[in-house]
Order: sequence, then C-alpha cells, then structure tokens
Amino acid sequence: MSLLLFLLLGALIGWYYDRTITGLLIASLLGLAWQTRQLLQFERALRTDNFDKFRYGEGIWEQLFSRVRFDRERGRRRKEAYRNLLKEVRKSTDAMPDGAIILNSRNEIVACNRAASVLGGLKRKKDRGQRLDNILRDQSISALINASNFDQSIEVASPVRDGDWLNCRVVPYGVDQKLFLLRDVTERVRLGKMRRDFVANASHELRSPLTVIGGYLEALSDDDELPPQWEKPVQQMRSQSERMQQILAVLMELSRLENATSASHEEAIDVGSLINKVLTSLPRQPGQADISTKVTCSTQLLGREAEIESVLVNLLANALRYTSADGSINVSWTHDTDGASLVVEDTGIGIEAEHLHRLTERFFRVDRGRSRDDGGVGLGLAIVKHVLVRHDAELDIRSEPGSGSCFRCVFPASRLDKSVS
Amino acid sequence: MEASDLGGHISKRYNKDIEELRSSVLSMGGLVETQLQLAITAIVSGDSELGIQVANDDYKVNKLEVSIDEECSRILAMRAPAAGDLRLIVAIIKTITDLERIGDEAEKIGFLASRLAAMDRPSDSYRELKNLGTHVLHMLRDAMNAFARLDVQEALEVVREDDRADEEYEAIQRQCITFMMEDPRSIKRVMNVTWAARSLERIGDHAKNICEYVIYMVQGRDVRHTRFSDVAESSND
Repeated sequence: MSLLLFLLLGALIGWYYDRTITGLLIASLLGLAWQTRQLLQFERALRTDNFDKFRYGEGIWEQLFSRVRFDRERGRRRKEAYRNLLKEVRKSTDAMPDGAIILNSRNEIVACNRAASVLGGLKRKKDRGQRLDNILRDQSISALINASNFDQSIEVASPVRDGDWLNCRVVPYGVDQKLFLLRDVTERVRLGKMRRDFVANASHELRSPLTVIGGYLEALSDDDELPPQWEKPVQQMRSQSERMQQILAVLMELSRLENATSASHEEAIDVGSLINKVLTSLPRQPGQADISTKVTCSTQLLGREAEIESVLVNLLANALRYTSADGSINVSWTHDTDGASLVVEDTGIGIEAEHLHRLTERFFRVDRGRSRDDGGVGLGLAIVKHVLVRHDAELDIRSEPGSGSCFRCVFPASRLDKSVS
Repeated sequence: MEASDLGGHISKRYNKDIEELRSSVLSMGGLVETQLQLAITAIVSGDSELGIQVANDDYKVNKLEVSIDEECSRILAMRAPAAGDLRLIVAIIKTITDLERIGDEAEKIGFLASRLAAMDRPSDSYRELKNLGTHVLHMLRDAMNAFARLDVQEALEVVREDDRADEEYEAIQRQCITFMMEDPRSIKRVMNVTWAARSLERIGDHAKNICEYVIYMVQGRDVRHTRFSDVAESSND
C-alpha cells in the first residue's frame, strides 16, 4: 500500500517537472533499494538471531517478522521441554545401579550412564565414539559383543577393582543398536566361592575323625572276644562308616573339580582303549545286562585321562544299576558334525522328563526309596557334569520311562587331537 | 592429536585400516592383561595347572605380534602415511614389541608359579608378590587405556607409578636376601620368588615404555631417557 503511494508520489513529482516516466523510475528504484535493504537486514537478523535492530515497519514485513518470531518462540519452548525431559531421563538412568552402555552397529560407544563409568572404568565424554572393546579389553567381552545370539551372559573380573566381578550381557534394540549391560555380581561370586570352600573344608575336617572311628571299628570287628550280640551292629557301623568315607572322598573330588580351571590339552586319550580298560576292570555281578561297544572315531581326545575314566565308570555304573539282565547297554565313541561324542545308552527303567534337569545336582535321587542300598552315593552325575565342564563338553540326557536312557557327552572339535586322525 | 583426527582421511578404506589396526593392538593388550592376571593368580594361589596354561598360551600373543607387524608394514608400503599417522604406526610397531615382552614375562611367571606350587609355601602366600603384581597390572591397564584414549595425562601417571614398582621390587629383593641368609635350605625357593619379582618389575618398565610411545604419538616428542619432572612440565604447555 505504502509502496503504491510512494510510486504515485514519484509519478506526480515527475509530472510536475514534465518527466513522469523518469519520476516513476526513480521512485521504483528507491523502493527497490529500500526493499533490498530490508531483505538484507532480515537475513542478518535471522542469522545472528538478533531482531532488536530490525525495523520492520508494517505490511508484509511485519507479518513475516511476527510469524518468524512466533515460530522461534515455539521452537525454543519445545526445545526447553525436550531438554528437561532428557535431563530427567538421564537423571533416572544415572540412578540405575546397573551399568548401561549404548553401542552403535560398529560397537562404538554412543552413551553410557554413571554406573557404567564407575563399574567399567569408562570416561563418559572422552570415550564417546571409541569402540567398547578398546576400553574393556577382556577377550570374552569382545567375543560377547560380536556374537550373533544375545541370550548369553558372561562374568568377567572387574577392570577397576581387583577381586570384583561383573556380569555382562548384550540386548539388541532399534535397527542396529545394542545395549551393553553391566552388573556387579561380586557378592554372588563370593557366596559361590564360600559355598565351595565350605564343602571342601567340611569334608576335609570330617575325614580325620572318621578315619579314627573306622580304624577302631575295623579292629573291633576283627576281635575274636567280641560278644556275639555286638557282631552285627559293629559290622553295620563299619560298613556305614566306610560309606561315609567314600562319600567324603567323592565330595572332595567334586570340590577339586569345581575349583580347578579348564583341563589342559596336553594329554591325548585313546578313548577306544580307555573304554576297553574300564569294561574289563568294572566289577560285574551275575544278573546284569550285557555291554556292547562301538568305536568308530579314532581321533584322540585332549584332556585328563583319569577324569574321563571316572565319567565312563559313573555312567556305566548307573546304566548297570537301572537295567535288568535281559536289557542291553551300549557304549560308543563316534564323530559328530563338529567334534565327537561319548554315548552310554541303556534299555533300563528310564527317567521321567521332570527329573532330567535335576539329575546332575548333588545327592539328587529320582526315587528316594530306591538305590540307597545298592551302593550309589548320589554324586556320580555331579562328577560327570563337572568333568565335562572342565573339558568344554556338554552333557545331553535323553530318556523315556520304561524304554531306557541315553547319556551323550559332546566334545567340541577344539578338544580333539588334530595331528592324528 | 585427538582420537577423532584418526578418522580424517579422504579414503574411507584408509580410515578403516587404521582403526582396525588400533583395535587389534588394544585386543593384543587385552590378551596380555589377561595372561598377566592369570599368572599372578597362579603364583598367589599356588595353582600349577593355571601356571602351565599361561605358559602354554603365550604363543597367542606372539602370533598377534607377527600379524600386527605385517599389517603395519602393509600400511606403510601402501599408504605412505605422514605426520600423525606415521607416528601412530611407529608407536604401534614399538608398542607391540613391548607387549610381546610382557607376554614373555607372564609366561615366565606362569612357569615359576607351577614350580613354586610344588614347594612349601610361606604363611603370607606371597603377599608382596601379589601387591607388586597388582600394581604392575594396573600400570599395564592404564597404559593401554592411555593408548586407547590418546591421553597424555594418564600416560604420565603410569610413568610416575613406575618408581613405586621399582621400590617394591627392591623391598622384595631385600626380604628375599634376609630369607636366604636365615635359612640356606630355602634358597632354591626364594630364588624363584626373586625371578618372579624381577619379571614383574620388568613388566612395569615395559608399561612405562608404552606410555612414552603414547606421548610420542600424541605430541610428537620423544621423552625416553629424560627426567620425569621435565616431561611433566613440558606436557602441560
């Protein structure tokens, strides 16, 4: 509107001097100059975010300006709200007792909470963009974050405090992001160690008094002057104390296995001849099932021969105990897809599915009434399990009540001797 | 030089090569840390099997050293790096040598642990070895952290810590001499202890060397064989 008036004024002055067109031209050039100046100032005001010096006048410039100011104000308020929200979220993640680290697809640290920096020794600002396994350099951690299945968790020694233990796991989220979680499990690890130490110490302490008792009972039962009414009780006491000594020996063996690290790869075991050796030395009684063998794998196993032998003895003793004379037992050592497995299969009474996962617990018995008197200690499968853990192997038990059980010890390829095959 | 500077090449491939190289050095560092930790545990808890395992696993460290060395030569030949990158490669070549030496010392300690486990143990079960061992383990860990973060302050901290390791080593040595004078029958055992302490002390020196390479890498200054106070002073400018 004002522009039109201005142009008209220019034209009028031009008309007065008989130069209408020139007047109009000069007026429009002045108008253009003014608009250009406005535009430049507007641009500068936008750029420097400073509207104080900007004289917007009226008309389109005022509208434009108020529009921009309104949007800016709204944006600022929204940003403020987001910032507050973010602060709250950060505060709450910092309050979490577990460490959480956000990783991108290249396993670089995007962000972490306070617990993560305390537990893992991370520096929150400095380590952003650094690969996590550059800072937490434990080999198992780098294996964990590069693994494709996320349902495993591992325990590693704390890089910050000696003697502390951390549980680590990875949770995938978003497109290609991962959340790395750290939890302080020092207490739990310590408790487990206390339990193991207790069992080891208690067994050790009980052994010496039992030896004394057993010695006297042995002397008593050999004594000719023992009154006949005492003969049977002394005999029973003696057999029970022997049984207790046997249990203690097994318990001590168990805690040794539990405390020891992974078995060395130095000894190469010829499993075929080991099976034969065990079968010939196994005490056999009449009325027991026949044992057949099948050895198709000639590769030698790397580990401790004495321990693998005890696995075989325990599995065979169980098979014999629960299989009647007309049944059959089969021992085999065969190649797998990758690795090899030692299998003891029987056609005995079998085990119900609900008991299978508890079989390797100490002193667990499927049938409380049975098997106490036939010499079983209740620790055989616990020993089997721990020996296998020490040899990186897994125990796979399948069983059907009435038709038999199958105990399969699966050894990985890394436990097989590759030099001879 | 900052960590972000390493990613500043036009060739993405080059960026990736350098980043991978750095990570593999750090993972070698992680392996050496584990080896050292296990070796210390073996000696303190008298676990001969663990000691043997550490000694047997040393080949992994050696293998990593060879492969990282090869990769360094490859990058030198193909990319002809300059300035910061060149310093990084040079520092890596030196760092892995020291890491490999630390691995060797850990192997030695593992071996000594298996030997000591067979002999009678003192009542404190080698507490002083444990203290020295934990100290140098922390030095090594901090040195690798300084390497990962290109952090000169952290590196200087480790250089400072080396004096304490030397002091502890001397104290152990003095103690061992006393033992040997008191009871000549223990000489064989105590000699093994001094060897283990010596190895730990050497590990401290290697960790210190690594930190000096970190300072060289970041600031381009060679601070070997200079007094600590001079180093710290000029690092603060």
